[in-house]
Amino acid sequence: MSVLLEKHIVELLQERDEKAISLLYEHYGDTLYGVAKKVVRDEELAQDVLQESFVKIWKKSDSYDASKAKLFTWLFRITRNTAIDKLRSVNTKSDKEIQMDVSDVYNLGVDSIKPEFMDVRENLDKIEDKYQIVLEALFFQGMTQQEASDELGIPLGTIKSRLKIGLRELKKIYGPSMMLALLLNLL
Amino acid sequence: MKEKIKIFLDSDLLEKYLLGTTNQQESLQVERYLAMYPEVRETYNELQDNLEIFAKLHAVKTPEGLKNKIMARIKSENSSRRKFFRYAMAASFAAVMFAGASYFLWNQNQNLQEENVLVNNKIETLKEDMRLELEDVRNQFIVLNNPLTKKYNVKGNKNAKELKAVAYINPVKKLSYINVKKLPHLSKNQSFQMWAEVNGKMINLGIIDESAGQEKLLALPYADNAVSYITIEPKGGNNTPTVENIVAKINY
Repeated sequence: MSVLLEKHIVELLQERDEKAISLLYEHYGDTLYGVAKKVVRDEELAQDVLQESFVKIWKKSDSYDASKAKLFTWLFRITRNTAIDKLRSVNTKSDKEIQMDVSDVYNLGVDSIKPEFMDVRENLDKIEDKYQIVLEALFFQGMTQQEASDELGIPLGTIKSRLKIGLRELKKIYGPSMMLALLLNLL
Repeated sequence: MKEKIKIFLDSDLLEKYLLGTTNQQESLQVERYLAMYPEVRETYNELQDNLEIFAKLHAVKTPEGLKNKIMARIKSENSSRRKFFRYAMAASFAAVMFAGASYFLWNQNQNLQEENVLVNNKIETLKEDMRLELEDVRNQFIVLNNPLTKKYNVKGNKNAKELKAVAYINPVKKLSYINVKKLPHLSKNQSFQMWAEVNGKMINLGIIDESAGQEKLLALPYADNAVSYITIEPKGGNNTPTVENIVAKINY
């Protein structure tokens, strides 16, 4: 996302202009929906999560502080936390123990492989599985590093180093293509 | 210092902060490091970029119609907020009106209570006056109707030859009255005043009102061998009788 557009959206949010939500949906809707889906692993629930997240984003818009986090980071936090809360309430309702299903982490969301995301998938495959698992566990599954270490049976130190390497790999692969995407966004 | 930063970066505080899972104390610590060390800031920004990239990798096309649903929710959220403000405005207005009306009514109530007290006092005074008047009339009746009552004709001395009065004395009931029938005309700054000498004490009985009805009986304090006087005094009356101005003397 271009810095200018981000600024524009933040301004609209602060002016409490509904256009902000429309623009956010256009630019981040798919990504946030993907995040929600990754966490709750259910399409209908993910849609509820996205709706609730956008309402929260709208309600909390005056609490966004650009000096503390980038816009996407803020959006991600809200969506992820809403999704985790949703998952917990569903799990509680069905009297199940709150438990993160780690097995799913290994299938890397086969259901989300769609033609339009194929190139992304291919790129994602370039990151070794062991890094992806750690990244997903931490970013999407709501685990702390300690929990990821326990759940995945990987020592904490390894989790930490894999996280760092995984992120670096990500940068290596996506750095240039993201730059291109940003340029395309600007055009 | 470098060591401190390294320890901080090795902990997962920054990652936790990125995801918004730090507690308040941890957030403050992270924010302090972010403000103080450019390396930490750089790492944080890198993490944010990576998070965005990583999340975008998992983007899933949103279903048709979801955007419209969300926009409708936002709209209703807004209108309910506006509605709330409208209600809040109406409620505060009503509250102000109510307070105003309450104060007005309270004030009116207070005034009415004061008035009520005044009216009650007046009624009491009137009742008392009536009672006194009635008693007076009753006494007059007793005196005038009693066969033991003696009637004295009082005439003015040389200073007021025209003065005529009738005194009624009843030694049994110990009541005495005087009816001043006729008074000589006095100059504007003079008036007649009645006195009674009872047991050696001079009592001021008040000014005789010329305009009052001639049938009015004035009560006199009763005592054996009392003497009443009528004197001419300066307008408004005097504290002690002026002996040389005695115009009539009633022994009873």
